[in-house]
Amino acid sequence: MKEDSDKYFNRELSWVEFNARVLEEARNKDVPLLERLRFLTIVSSNFDEFFMVRVASLKAQFCQNPECRDDAGIPVREQLDRISRRVHELVNKQYDALLGDILPALSAEGIHYISPAGYTPSQLRFLDGFFMTDVFPLLTPLRTSMDGILPSIGNLRLHAAFLLKSNIEVPTGPLADFLLKTGALGSSGNDGQSGSAGKQVNGENRGSEGEGDHPPLAIVQIPASIARIVWLPDDTGTHCFTLLDDVVCAFGKRLFPGFNVEENILFKVARDADFAVDEDRDEDFIAAMQEVLVSRLSSVPVRLICTGESPKILSYLKEAMYLQELDVYPVPGPIDLSTLVDLANIEGFDHLRNPLWKNYWPVGLPSDTPLWDEFKRTDVLLHVPYNSYEPVLRFINDASDDPDVIAIKMTLYRTSGDSPIIKALERAARAGKHVTAFVELKARFDEARNISWAHRLEEVGVIVVYGIARLKVHAKILLVVRRETDGIRRYVHLSTGNYNDRTARFYVDMSLFTSNQDIANDATLFFNMISGYSAIMNTKRLVMAPIDLKNRLISLIDREIERTVPERPGQIIAKMNSLGDPEIIDALYRANRAGVRILLNVRGLCMLVPGVAGMSENITVVSVIDRYLEHTRIFSFENGGADELFLSSADWMPRNLDRRIELMFPVLQENIRKEIKEILLLYFSDNMKAHYLQSDGSWIRRHPVKGEKPLRIQELFHEAEKKRWELFEQEPQKEFIVRRT
Amino acid sequence: MNEPNRLRLEAVIEIGATGIRLLVVEVSEDGTWSVIDRSERALALGRDVFTTGAISRDSLLQCLAILNRNREILASWAIADEHVTVVATSAIREARNRDSILDRLAVKTGFRVKVIDGIEENRLMYLVVDYALRDAPSKMSKANSIILDVGGGSTEIMLLQKGKMVAAHSFRMGTVIIEQQIKAMMGSSKDMRRFLAEYIRTTAENLNNELRLDRVTQLVAIGNDARLVARSVGTQMTDLYAVIKREDFIAFVERITGYSIEESVQHFRISYSEAESLAPGLLAYQFFLEMTGADIVVVPYLSIREGMIISQLSGPENLAREEFNDQIIASAVNLGKRYHLDEAHSGYVTRIALKLYDELESELGLDRHARLLLQIASILHDVGSFIRSSDHHIHSQYILGHSDIFGLNRDDMNILSNVVRYHRSEVPSPTHLGYISLPRSDRTMVLKLASLLRIADALDRGHSQHINDFDIELTRDTLILRAKGTHDVTLERLALDEKADLFEEVFGYKLIMV
Repeated sequence: MKEDSDKYFNRELSWVEFNARVLEEARNKDVPLLERLRFLTIVSSNFDEFFMVRVASLKAQFCQNPECRDDAGIPVREQLDRISRRVHELVNKQYDALLGDILPALSAEGIHYISPAGYTPSQLRFLDGFFMTDVFPLLTPLRTSMDGILPSIGNLRLHAAFLLKSNIEVPTGPLADFLLKTGALGSSGNDGQSGSAGKQVNGENRGSEGEGDHPPLAIVQIPASIARIVWLPDDTGTHCFTLLDDVVCAFGKRLFPGFNVEENILFKVARDADFAVDEDRDEDFIAAMQEVLVSRLSSVPVRLICTGESPKILSYLKEAMYLQELDVYPVPGPIDLSTLVDLANIEGFDHLRNPLWKNYWPVGLPSDTPLWDEFKRTDVLLHVPYNSYEPVLRFINDASDDPDVIAIKMTLYRTSGDSPIIKALERAARAGKHVTAFVELKARFDEARNISWAHRLEEVGVIVVYGIARLKVHAKILLVVRRETDGIRRYVHLSTGNYNDRTARFYVDMSLFTSNQDIANDATLFFNMISGYSAIMNTKRLVMAPIDLKNRLISLIDREIERTVPERPGQIIAKMNSLGDPEIIDALYRANRAGVRILLNVRGLCMLVPGVAGMSENITVVSVIDRYLEHTRIFSFENGGADELFLSSADWMPRNLDRRIELMFPVLQENIRKEIKEILLLYFSDNMKAHYLQSDGSWIRRHPVKGEKPLRIQELFHEAEKKRWELFEQEPQKEFIVRRT
Repeated sequence: MNEPNRLRLEAVIEIGATGIRLLVVEVSEDGTWSVIDRSERALALGRDVFTTGAISRDSLLQCLAILNRNREILASWAIADEHVTVVATSAIREARNRDSILDRLAVKTGFRVKVIDGIEENRLMYLVVDYALRDAPSKMSKANSIILDVGGGSTEIMLLQKGKMVAAHSFRMGTVIIEQQIKAMMGSSKDMRRFLAEYIRTTAENLNNELRLDRVTQLVAIGNDARLVARSVGTQMTDLYAVIKREDFIAFVERITGYSIEESVQHFRISYSEAESLAPGLLAYQFFLEMTGADIVVVPYLSIREGMIISQLSGPENLAREEFNDQIIASAVNLGKRYHLDEAHSGYVTRIALKLYDELESELGLDRHARLLLQIASILHDVGSFIRSSDHHIHSQYILGHSDIFGLNRDDMNILSNVVRYHRSEVPSPTHLGYISLPRSDRTMVLKLASLLRIADALDRGHSQHINDFDIELTRDTLILRAKGTHDVTLERLALDEKADLFEEVFGYKLIMV
């Protein structure tokens, strides 16, 4: 047995490498320019979340127990150091790409970024007016010294800091004393730093520098209510923009009459968002959740990103927020790329974006009659976004409006704000159907949104279940009960992705419509279990975490070991977002040693070390990063020829298998199982967007070798669906679809 | 909402000693059914009742909460209340505050809870086993077997000889009771074994008189505990039942009785209260198993709830019903044997009584079940002679009032004991507590059945069955009995003079024997 340190990759570092692969797409010259910019923004927002959750949690670990080590045996301090080193590298790369490549290229396309130094007089005039009428009224500068900074800096909000110097001479004497007493003069020289802590100094309240040890520092939040991209008027036909924060910096001195701005920087703080809601508060869980949301705004800072040259301000901020050098990420260009996404969506310039890929209604699925009969006859696979999400919406809408439907039950984890699904459920409840919505309030960063629409549903009579104590409900399942002439019929939709029509346009997910009796029975029991109707019961087809999903997976892997013979080695092919469960990884190593072939398609972090002789030489790990976010979880086991294939909402991570309610469901219909397996295998022939994990933890992008045709898997799937649709449309109509009753 | 009549949903909620369980089935036109919803929530009502004698306020509140959740489930199926049966078993049955609890349940949930007694549970179990094994090899369905259900508050036992019921009993011994006794004695698990072994040995000795236990070839174990064993070491035969080898069953029980409660909870994902009763329950099965020669344990995956469904679906004219009545009668005959009945006489009286019943059916206003009760009363009317000939009707009443007949519930037994009480010349009087404590409708039934039984008995006054058959003719005001063939009917006429009074009073007809 290998040492633990060689057995697993560190979870966090492996995740950072995932973001590095995303960054690679931003640097990839084959990718359309604005998409590259989009990838840059994704890298930033990914990092934000990573720091708020993962790094925050590591830091908390370090405070509690500095000796703590990960599964690979790396002490937590070292993890933090290595993360910081690698993320600094990547952030530098990111800005190299932005400043050295993408912005110049945009310029060449007629989109110019103008920094304050480059404002022309006419632009200055325009911005002056803009600042005074649109921006100035929204600015609230906080004059502060170190102690006062901390609570007022909102998480992930962009701020400008100004170091001020008084330009009004107040002669010492009674006037100065008076001004001092009334506080107008800011911090008093006598009690040093604390005198004006947190006190507001606004435009009218002329202050001047006291004789304190610290020069006064003012912090202004850049208003989030104004678009960050500010388009400049231009008569030459080119598009020039500057950023709101640039404008605030350029005109910021107007906020401080009587002062000179000595130095200024822009900065953004990521705070700990990884704290749990008090699970014991069953009675007022929603209130507890809301408190969490409020406290997230002012929790411990874990990362500071800043721009501009001001060692003084920087050292203030660092000290005040108890941050170390490694937590500070100075950047040489526009800060907070995550908010530049508007630029990527700029009107016109479609030639700089991905060609539009249509989402096709599944060929063969009737598009103008209700789907019941079809689902009764056959299971139907939906592969979004190659297929459109429309059938799911249609199905929910049909269910809501069909008089024979008596009940609808579904889980909602993340759904879009103005979701058509919620509307359909509301309508169904109003029509007197029994509607149960299982709302996971703990869906991170979606909590606030979830609380608001959950209330709306409750008002119209939907039974809303707000999650389960200590477990997140991550399963995606929809059950429709319909009274038909030959009896009760249940329709189930099971998915790997959320019931969210927006994300379904760029998340690759699979879902299955079925009316299979066993699955319908299990679905009913599943809802009983998660709605507080029942204790845990046995299910026949559906496998549920945290009950027995992990055991089941391990026993499936072990069965593969049993069935493998040298002439016919067993085969496991699995696709997921993350692989990080040591027990499962150990089982895979076991299978490897028994000769089982293992093909893994892991988009994000992967703790498994492939390609090590005697441990994992039969294991291949690929990661595909392309325009759509790979999100399907598919597990295929050869089972000595009697293939079994499952779809799931769960990754192979402890959090999914042990701390969440997840589902794994079998694909029972032969043709669909074959289709999915083909898809699963095809990923391994991508030579454009596929990265292969090496035994040293690095990822190598595969390129077409000589004579090999370039193959981009997402394009292939899209083209295939398109072709299918075109063929279908060309097919001559054999009969008229007659409408009559 | 348009409801095609072919479709029917039926729901059963069972309030048991360890939990509340719900079952929804879809019944198709041909009477077959399939389960479409289930749920179960643990609730230790049994622990309340078997320790303090009453159901606590806390448990009542929980019970209400769970039942109201069940209401939501029922609503999601749009099932109307007339298709919902709510039954309660031992815990509520034995609770001192049973009536007020039932009232609270009715007021707060709208459910009218039907309390079923032990012997009724027996009947349901029999239905379940019969159903589960209906496609099983006849080696199993026609075997000598013990059906055993160790519940929280009671244990139901049935003995079947070649598939025929020979005895059915309900004992007030259940897992919760055992566990409480052990706790009360501050006992260890060793004490529990001894206590259980002792109890089961004496029980088994009694059972041995009814069926040689060493000739029993299979033990049918019902209940959650048994299902847990089946899941772990059993072989699933069909969707409906599993089979466990004797040695596997014993080995498994030996293993898990070593587990702590926490380990059981972890291992089997069951609630604490279930885990607490797991060991005593399984030990009880094991000890019974060891008393018999059974080499397999059969575990049906069905419960008393499915039994309710089967029971509801088997209408009175149903074949299954007939078969079931045969089992009830077999059980009655078996009881009679124990008291050395004059079988020729009781057979004769039964035949005549039923003949009267059938001829007068339109006059009686009674249902098929009443006919069954008359049949059993006729078979058993003389059991009291076992004690002493004089006053044997009073002894008969006592015996029937304190016996179990498979398939009959306590109310049935009360009616029966009153019918036999009045099979001689005595008629009900306000001092007869057993009679006046019956509900009014049951009293009427007793009068009608007893009046027929009295006539039938009178016609064999000499216990010689010499009048083979009668013609019965009903005129406007007279019932005329005409003996077929030539007989000396003096004795019978005398007896009728003495016993026809009740008939004449109840029905308003004069009775003449010619």
